Amino acid sequence: MPKLSMKQRYSVLTRDLDWEPSYVDEEELFPHATFEGIKIHDWSKWEDPFRLTVDSYYKYQAEKDRRLYAVLDSFAQSQGHLSLSDASYLNAMKLFLQGVTPLEYQAHRHFAYLGRHLKGGGPRFAAICQSIDELRHAQTEIHTLSGYNKHYSGFHGFSRMHDRVWYLSVPKSFFDDAVSAGPFEFLTAISFSFEYLLTNLLFVPFMSGASFNGDLPTMTFGFSAQSDESRHMTLGLESIKFMLEQDEGNVPIVQDWIDKWFWRSYRVTALVASMMDYQLPRRVMSWKEAFELYFEQQMLEGLFPDLSYYGINPPRHVQQAVDEKDLLSHQVYWTLFSFGFAAGFTTSIPHDDHLEWLSANYPDTFDNLYRPQWEKARRIREGGGRFFFQGLPQLCQTCQIPMIFTEPGSPTVIAQRWSEHRGEKFNFCSDGCKWIFDREPEKYVQAWMPVHQIYQGNCGGPTVPEVLAWYGLEEGDGGEYEGSVDQRNWQHWHEAQLSEVASR
Amino acid sequence: MPDEHHVRDRGGPNLQYELRQQVIEARRQTFDHLIERLGDRPATRYEEGTIAVQAEEHFHYRPLWAPDRELYDRRYSELRLTDPYSFLDPRQYYYYPYVSARATLHAELSATLAYLEQRDLLAKMPEAWRTGLLEGVLPLRHYEAGAAMASEAACRFSYGASVAQCAAFAGFDRIGAAQMLSRIGLSLDGSTADSLRAAKQHWLTSSSWQPLRRYVEELLVIDDWAVGLVAVDLVDSLTYPVVWRSLDEAALTGGAGAYSLLGQHFTAWYEDQRKWLDALYAAWLADPEQGKANASVLLGIVDAWLPRAREAVSLFSGPLRLAAGDALLDAVIDAAYAEVTERLATLGLEPAHVGAGR
Repeated sequence: MPKLSMKQRYSVLTRDLDWEPSYVDEEELFPHATFEGIKIHDWSKWEDPFRLTVDSYYKYQAEKDRRLYAVLDSFAQSQGHLSLSDASYLNAMKLFLQGVTPLEYQAHRHFAYLGRHLKGGGPRFAAICQSIDELRHAQTEIHTLSGYNKHYSGFHGFSRMHDRVWYLSVPKSFFDDAVSAGPFEFLTAISFSFEYLLTNLLFVPFMSGASFNGDLPTMTFGFSAQSDESRHMTLGLESIKFMLEQDEGNVPIVQDWIDKWFWRSYRVTALVASMMDYQLPRRVMSWKEAFELYFEQQMLEGLFPDLSYYGINPPRHVQQAVDEKDLLSHQVYWTLFSFGFAAGFTTSIPHDDHLEWLSANYPDTFDNLYRPQWEKARRIREGGGRFFFQGLPQLCQTCQIPMIFTEPGSPTVIAQRWSEHRGEKFNFCSDGCKWIFDREPEKYVQAWMPVHQIYQGNCGGPTVPEVLAWYGLEEGDGGEYEGSVDQRNWQHWHEAQLSEVASR
Repeated sequence: MPDEHHVRDRGGPNLQYELRQQVIEARRQTFDHLIERLGDRPATRYEEGTIAVQAEEHFHYRPLWAPDRELYDRRYSELRLTDPYSFLDPRQYYYYPYVSARATLHAELSATLAYLEQRDLLAKMPEAWRTGLLEGVLPLRHYEAGAAMASEAACRFSYGASVAQCAAFAGFDRIGAAQMLSRIGLSLDGSTADSLRAAKQHWLTSSSWQPLRRYVEELLVIDDWAVGLVAVDLVDSLTYPVVWRSLDEAALTGGAGAYSLLGQHFTAWYEDQRKWLDALYAAWLADPEQGKANASVLLGIVDAWLPRAREAVSLFSGPLRLAAGDALLDAVIDAAYAEVTERLATLGLEPAHVGAGR
């Protein structure tokens, strides 16, 4: 027999470990493999998206983490946090730790589910690699941001906050939606829609934001996660192609899932949009520019023409996402600003130069639609106040974002859609979210809606302070940045330093 | 387009240096969920990366594949911990120390294989040991792959990040062990994979391997992650000591130094694996509310699976008899079995079958 090729060797080390059971039924061994309607005729046709044996995996990953932790240690020792662009930069990282890190953790657990329940040995191995990669990401993010937690507000209760706080039910319900689905839908949701279609929109802004704002640890984490992410992306693409190639009947099912998960993922990125345009002291690029580059060019013009070969169309409702790229970040940040008293990060009125930047980047919308809001907020501040919205917002039953988005083509009219299910009325922010609900109403009526829960008395009590205490929020975590605990400390640390130098 | 307007001017490099000298008192040492448990002291990276990291409340939707359960739910097993973090990994493995430790393990195996290949020591093994390795050991790569699936189920369905994390590492370890065995096979057959094809046939058809294959397939269809984990551990508890640790001396004196050199890596892994599993058994049994129920569930699992594990190991190790001798093999199986039952007895679990096989 000839020696094995690299591909054969990899196959011998991974999928060849698999065997067909004879003491139990295959359906019994893989009970979740068929209920979604996806038909796989030949698992051996799976093309391994990457070839990494266990020994190389350990070697590369250990080396990457050795470097990362060395950076974390030296940053902590040298009080590196004082070299950030500004303490307000950390608001982006607070949102990241509260909203994204717990999703990495969920991915860790649920890729293990794929490592158990996918029928093919090849994809199972890819899934277990991703399972421990995701644990790596969750843990390195916690360790990276743990240094800031010692000195700044908003980080300290991220785990409980993720389970309780209103705006965090947006990412949480998104991931719960994927995890509660079957294995093939989960692959489409997370590996393809989230990790492939939108990953650049999700991670690049945070990581570039970190590098522009002096956050060396997060930047290092981002770089070191990149090679993991590229494996995850190829897994997402291979999963989709594999399903589409295996059976023609899979095409409409996968199309439906892409339609659902594009919109579901896109709504989660609304938080990223507001972070990019409003929360970074040194901005990298606008949401609009990022959306055009990473989504319109790379995905709509790059990927989807390729997928049309399989009979896959661009996601339903994608045009609405394109149309609202001039509006999205402004609508979301204004909401976070208005309800900022109940958040785990601070918000503030953009400074003059920031307003100019927004005008320049959003020439069609900012000056006529959003600048007046900020001017009003300024007048209130000049009178010694701070604008906050009184009361609680109505949430979309699907994405759980407050109903703040506007009618397509009418940027001053709030969109409102509704459906009736078993005699009850449910509200949605958009056609996309209504369409998703109408496909699976029995699922979405289960949602733990933070505002409903407050009204039902399940969140610590009827008053705002009681709810905030139940969220685990302390003074300085939310509200206005100007004059906040973080800002006062930041000024104090830097002034102390300046006077020390001056006295020499 | 970076905007530097309200970035503070902090002066030149001199100031940077000075900043580093400033002592800033920490507002808190760690996160709330750790402070509540451990007090406001600096937490280890293991603690920060593990404790209370899994979501515990307000799951939005029931799983389509288990509509009567929550996404994370103690009811995925009969074995339960009131406080999931009453179990912590004594090795304190989070991702980084885990991959570092395993990078070393695999580098050491590679060094051994390189050494053996350079000196052609695998080929020079006495025929009986070579056959023993090919027919009585290599098919374990499939057992390891099955055990990986059981570990992945434990990672997904266990409750709390500390157990799930150990299970995830163990699952990855299993694929690692399967690859270690496969690489030995490739060394033996000159990278043609003939030995691995033959090993798969043994796994699928040889009567000596069928009890173990049946055992694995049957434990995988049990809808309780902990049963799978414990049942695999019972096989491990016999397999690793019998196949690797206890035959070391016989291999050395029998001229199969290669067998002994390889065995050290598997024995090292097994000793590491024992640490967290023993701690998990202890936590299950010490649980203030669930301890008694856990003891009875564990005993049930042991009674159902340990005799089968013993039978499976006695049979698949058959090909090693020619190399090691019947008397020795019987003795090491008895010894390994006694070790398991003693360990269980120390935990307060007396299996019904103790002594029955002697």
